[in-house]
Amino acid sequence: MSGEDPTAAFRIEAAELLEQIEQGLLDLGHRLDDMGLVNAVFRGLHTLKGSGSMFGFDALAAFTHHCESAFDKVRKGDVPATPELVSVILSAGDHMRALVEGEAPAAVGDAILARLAAAVEAAAGGVPVPHAPAAKQGWRVAFRLPADAMANGTSPLALLDELRALGEAEIVAQLDAVPALDELRPSDCLIGWDCTLTGDIAREAIEDVFIFVMDDMTLTIEPLAVEADSGDAAAPAARGEPDAPVRAAGAPAVVAARSQGEHVRVPAERLDELMDRVGELVIAQSRLSQLTGDGQDLALRSVSEEIERLAGEMRDTMMVLRMVPVSTLFGRFRRLIHDLAIETGKAIELATDGETTEVDKTVIERLFDPLVHIIRNSCDHGLESAEDRIAAGKPAAGLVRLSAHQAGGEVLITISDDGRGIDGDRVRAKAEANGLIQPGQAMADEDLLNLIFHPGFSTAVQVTNLSGRGVGMDVVKRTIESLRGSIDVRSIPGQGSTITLRIPLTLAIIEGLLVRVGQGSYVIPLSAVEECLELSLEEDLRSRGRSVITLRDRLVPFLRLREMFATGTRPDPYQKIVVVATGRERVGLVVDQIVGNHQTVIKSLSAFHRGVASFSGATILGDGSVALILDVGQLVALAQPQEETLRAAG
Amino acid sequence: MSASILTVDDSASLRMAIRIALTGAGYAVTEAADGVEGLAKATATRFDLIVTDLNMPNMDGLQMIRALREQPSQAGVPIIFLTTESDDGMKAQAKAAGATGWLVKPFQPDQLIRVAQKVLAK
Amino acid sequence: MPQDDVLAASAAAADDRIAWSPHGELEVLIFELGGETFALEAIMVQEILDLLPETFIPGAPELVAHVVNFRGKIVPVADLRLAFGMERAEATKDSRIVVIELPLDGETMLIGLRTDRVHEVATFQQARADEVPAVGIRWKRQHVRSLIRWHEDLVVLPDLGAIFLSAMRGHPSAPVH
Repeated sequence: MSGEDPTAAFRIEAAELLEQIEQGLLDLGHRLDDMGLVNAVFRGLHTLKGSGSMFGFDALAAFTHHCESAFDKVRKGDVPATPELVSVILSAGDHMRALVEGEAPAAVGDAILARLAAAVEAAAGGVPVPHAPAAKQGWRVAFRLPADAMANGTSPLALLDELRALGEAEIVAQLDAVPALDELRPSDCLIGWDCTLTGDIAREAIEDVFIFVMDDMTLTIEPLAVEADSGDAAAPAARGEPDAPVRAAGAPAVVAARSQGEHVRVPAERLDELMDRVGELVIAQSRLSQLTGDGQDLALRSVSEEIERLAGEMRDTMMVLRMVPVSTLFGRFRRLIHDLAIETGKAIELATDGETTEVDKTVIERLFDPLVHIIRNSCDHGLESAEDRIAAGKPAAGLVRLSAHQAGGEVLITISDDGRGIDGDRVRAKAEANGLIQPGQAMADEDLLNLIFHPGFSTAVQVTNLSGRGVGMDVVKRTIESLRGSIDVRSIPGQGSTITLRIPLTLAIIEGLLVRVGQGSYVIPLSAVEECLELSLEEDLRSRGRSVITLRDRLVPFLRLREMFATGTRPDPYQKIVVVATGRERVGLVVDQIVGNHQTVIKSLSAFHRGVASFSGATILGDGSVALILDVGQLVALAQPQEETLRAAG
Repeated sequence: MSASILTVDDSASLRMAIRIALTGAGYAVTEAADGVEGLAKATATRFDLIVTDLNMPNMDGLQMIRALREQPSQAGVPIIFLTTESDDGMKAQAKAAGATGWLVKPFQPDQLIRVAQKVLAK
Repeated sequence: MPQDDVLAASAAAADDRIAWSPHGELEVLIFELGGETFALEAIMVQEILDLLPETFIPGAPELVAHVVNFRGKIVPVADLRLAFGMERAEATKDSRIVVIELPLDGETMLIGLRTDRVHEVATFQQARADEVPAVGIRWKRQHVRSLIRWHEDLVVLPDLGAIFLSAMRGHPSAPVH
């Protein structure tokens, strides 16, 4: 297989290492004297530097080296870990990420290193490092290897060959250290060698031969001719390292403990390809079962059913392959909370639960930005200052809680804080000022709060640099809806607010309601369908010219899809209204016929059609034809009167 | 027959680079992701050379070298360890544990091959 | 129309985009549409299909208002008649869809082209290629790369890049309601 690219592999690895380093640092921030964490961070930095330099990321290696050195000091106990040191290395991690991406301004790195130096100095003092040897022609080389050299993989023969390769060599073995046979351990290396090397040979070349054993052996290198210049004619060295060998306790047991989780790393696009194939298989299978369903051939039918079962199982397995635990998402917010605590000057704690809940990886990726925004909002507007909290009888540190759990085909993600809650009066004032609601208009509290998701609404009475970054909650809502999810906010004054996201487990397959409009087939995501009603002929006539119907005392806007899609066909005498909802907003879709439920493999539309707002994708029906999937979020928005006027104005 | 080499490193990119260099030079390369796996593989098959990182999770290179050297069957198998800078402390510890030689990262593929040739008896 | 200026500019550049071989030859697929003979580079052609059930996309650009299921992919089907101001027409038993691969705006797209009849694969000679006259032809000049004399016919080498780019950039008609 070609396409192996160590540099690409390194980039992925570096991202993971940086993630580990960051998590380690964040933990260390809470437990400054945990040497296990110190070592883990050091190890991460060390590997990053080593691999970085291997793959030409020199700036990264050089920069990381400084951080590693700082942590080495902590590891050796020369310097204690301090919050400032942790904080500097966290920002250093960001810079390293940028260096991996290749777009890091050097000035940023210099500034961080200056902070680092200051942080280390503040924690303790500095440490120096020494090093370096020097070199001539025609040598007498005498050497004796350590007794265990051969056992440790050094081959004397190979060394002698190397010496011979340098120049003309005359070699004499010295047997004086070899004991009597009954005392001789055959694996010990006890022979010494004297070698006369003639030729123009650099001293370093000889030293190089012994590079791996030099420290433990006896080696003398003397010039053959009497040359009285340098003082360091000989470089004898015999340093037995006083190292208490720490035993690898019970190595075989560790081997046994290992085989629990083997992992294979697969590029995401291969998974996507496989998903496509499985999707096609599911479609082909449903065509097959249609063909065989009414046939008489029992054997054929049983094979078809067998394939149906297998295809279904394969699809389920495939879905699981794409699932990743929410912890990969939640973990990334620890850093955000850390930074927000510093920026806002508030003490903030993060609690998470349900981290093992698994969600489709694409969903996880797309949830990141909305969650950042929600958490920022909570920290900035929701949580009070420490003084206010204490005055209100709460702990000084504010709490942000992220939790996830699965409910049927959905995952519920909640972001809650124990802050002051959302001020309903302010929301109302703002909404009235913006003309979203009539002054004094009666409204349920929940509906009122959900106005914060309306385009153009911003709860921030004073916009701080945290939340006022151009994205509003309406963008959050739109992102969630593009995932076919919904968003809802609750708040209790003085006790905090909770935002709940309901997200489908996967984006690749949905349960859909297949409907007919004119000649065309369309799929409505079942999760959005609230109910289906008959639209009687009288009701239809009565509602002409209006775009709302009364549904159990509530006014519900509706769209006649037949007119909207300009089918040019006559309405079916028994039209149906499919009521769909996102959050609290609902709309009735008038269709000609409800065909039934349909397991839908979602296909994307080509670039020509991505701009068509009413559809989020397409799917292939049992007969091989294409049906469009309605974008419920867009249709609901389209039916909102305010939106309509905005649209008309724009 | 080409010499067999076991490379032990927790960094997949580094293992890949080492494998590409060594297989290119005609050696047969087996990979292990940490000391435990390295020890298991080396115990199962005697390799002609082991190239290992020191800094690894589960069981680091030092522990693995010591464990290997305790096995009579591993006597004489050259073990090269990878180290980052000329860290004498680490080098001395690895040597004491029974390593044969080392290679300082970053290294070029031909440096690795030269070291392999150096310690592999002809 | 300012948009046409843009297209004209891209069409001028398109003349150089005919990849004549060093011997001045070009392998093409010849097909018929609305009584005219067209050709496109054989290398673009993925497959020639019998007609498939097409799905109309309300609100889509007129040129590519339909899609088909081509091996599990949703592929737009284009009616080039619209780009050449021809009357719409019903399909016949000779109608085929030619599926081509077209690099457009940084991505390679699969597009189905409706044709009235597919003739053959032929080799064009550069020497027989004509500049597109500024006047006297019925079609938008920027939609044509070259006219080539072949047997008794004058064959149109359309500028598919320009045609489809205008469909992609042009505003799709808004949904009616």
